[in-house]
Amino acid sequence: MSNLLEIRELNITLVENQRPIVKNVSFNVGKGRILGIIGESGSGKTLTSKAIMRLLNEKIFTVKGQVEFRGNNLLQMSEREIEGVMGKDISMIMQNPMTAFDPMMKIGKQIIETVKAHLPLSKKQAYDMGVQQLKKMNLNRVSEIMNSYPHTLSGGMLQRIMIAIALLLEPRIIIADEATTALDVSTQSIILDEFKKIQDKGISLIVVTHDFGVIAKVANDVIVMKDGEIIEDGTVHEIFYNPKTEYTKELLKARLLADEVSYA
Amino acid sequence: MLRYISNRLIGLIIVLIGVTVLTFIFSNISTVDPAEAFARRNILNPTPMQIEELREEMGLNLPVYRQYFHWMGESMKGNLGISLLTKNPVSADIAKKMPATLSIVGMAFFWIVVITLPISILSAVKQNGVFDHVARVITIFGISMPNFWLGFIMLIAFAVVVPIFNVVDYGNFKSIILPSLTLAIPVISSSIRLFRATILLNMNKDFVTYAKARGISKTNIIWKHILKNSLPPMITLMCQNLGYMIAGSAIVESVFSWPGIGSHLVEAIVGRDLPTINGCVLVIAVIFVLSNLFADVVNIMLNPKILNEQGEF
Ligand SMILES: Nc1ncnc2c1ncn2[C@@H]1O[C@H](COP(=O)(O)OP(=O)(O)OP(=O)(O)O)[C@@H](O)[C@H]1O
Ligand SMILES: [Mg+2]
Repeated sequence: MSNLLEIRELNITLVENQRPIVKNVSFNVGKGRILGIIGESGSGKTLTSKAIMRLLNEKIFTVKGQVEFRGNNLLQMSEREIEGVMGKDISMIMQNPMTAFDPMMKIGKQIIETVKAHLPLSKKQAYDMGVQQLKKMNLNRVSEIMNSYPHTLSGGMLQRIMIAIALLLEPRIIIADEATTALDVSTQSIILDEFKKIQDKGISLIVVTHDFGVIAKVANDVIVMKDGEIIEDGTVHEIFYNPKTEYTKELLKARLLADEVSYA
Repeated sequence: MLRYISNRLIGLIIVLIGVTVLTFIFSNISTVDPAEAFARRNILNPTPMQIEELREEMGLNLPVYRQYFHWMGESMKGNLGISLLTKNPVSADIAKKMPATLSIVGMAFFWIVVITLPISILSAVKQNGVFDHVARVITIFGISMPNFWLGFIMLIAFAVVVPIFNVVDYGNFKSIILPSLTLAIPVISSSIRLFRATILLNMNKDFVTYAKARGISKTNIIWKHILKNSLPPMITLMCQNLGYMIAGSAIVESVFSWPGIGSHLVEAIVGRDLPTINGCVLVIAVIFVLSNLFADVVNIMLNPKILNEQGEF
């Protein structure tokens, strides 16, 4: 199995006091595989995924290490080069769909601007691409959506629009940070099904979550993070049936408890 | 939208009533008797009898509330009374003085826009850089300096020491520059602080992170997302400033001997010219209140979300 993304010795420290937050994190994402990153709140999942996409504020965080993607170290790229990769080859689904969109710009315009940032197309062509992609996400009244401001749409709709945008330019990998946390259970399972379909297209995914249920439904591989370090990794099967650390066992137990509560 | 505006208009009428009532009360508790002041200006050695007659003629013997309702009724008809000083209709005097005030306020507004926008953008984008620090020091000066002091310094610097401008001048373009700058500088300074802070706040919003993640270029993120989202509070502030500057022009106009409504009002206060005082206050209050309403309407048109949040009472 060949790797699409190889993270080597990723270290994130705070600029102001040199405090390490993410320590020596290394992992791979295979082509067409779904990697789950799990860990309790504050374990460094979001910082790790943002560091990969170069989204961390350099004034606050120092990022060291290597993020190899198709023969390039993303951490060494110029701002221009990275703009060309983000949204095109690597795209992101944000945790909170209600705040991710610019509140003063219509959805259609935000889609068009994304397309035009990467492809030399006309406005009309970009618009049509957006419409087609939204239709594929089972959204109705697509032209109405294109003409809407974000606050007039529901969280579930916005989340699907975000997935549509993530798929728009046929990326190699999509990073989804807590993409289902803010959603109700039924919307959540629709989105997880979408992830499976994305995988069927040969696209890799990193799914960040603190919920083993999500991992169980979609992931192939898992890394478990605690206090900024990877304490365990393996396939989903290995982690579920043969957890090595107490911490992972605790997380799994918490999940079982949550299930019992929700079935009770 | 219409409902929102009509709700606001009712509020504005209440504000106007409050402001005019207060003016009436303050004029009445003042120790200087306007009838006597008027008599002394116009009659050599007036007798108490003559003063009493005048008082009745001017309606000043009536209780304050009756004076107020009478004045209110007349001003609704557009009649603000006759000035005790100039003997002209108050409205005619105001109309004559207004263009001078509007010209410095308009020019000040121009300075505010062309100076505030680039400086705040540069300060925010290069946060904590040299430019940002220099701008911070200068704006703190600008905010803390009283208007009259700033005016005198400008006069001394640019009309006396380096005589580019004339100390007393009116009626040409050059003469507008110093008074309008004096009026604008405190507003510019506080606007830069606010705009810079708003831009910085928006830079850390989720939608900026997401725009970066979509590969939108830095320039487009700044211009199309961050600045656009920073404009609504700015526009509100600008329109409020418009009213504030017209109201606050009195001091600057006095320093520069500028024949506008501000110095007209000051003269009226000194000369106990009650109809002129009441008329000027009413006109200034109307302008103030309308510019605030205008600010809100523009804001709503820029950002439809505000109406959802505030429009339904
Ligand atoms: N701006 C910041 N300044 C200082 N410390 C920060 C900052 N942002 C995050 N941290 C610290 O970094 C650690 C990791 O944060 P991160 O957001 O990556 O956690 P997470 O695993 O995504 O948690 P969650 O499940 O709550 O999203 C946290 O302990 C947090 O205190
Ligand atoms: Mg997180």
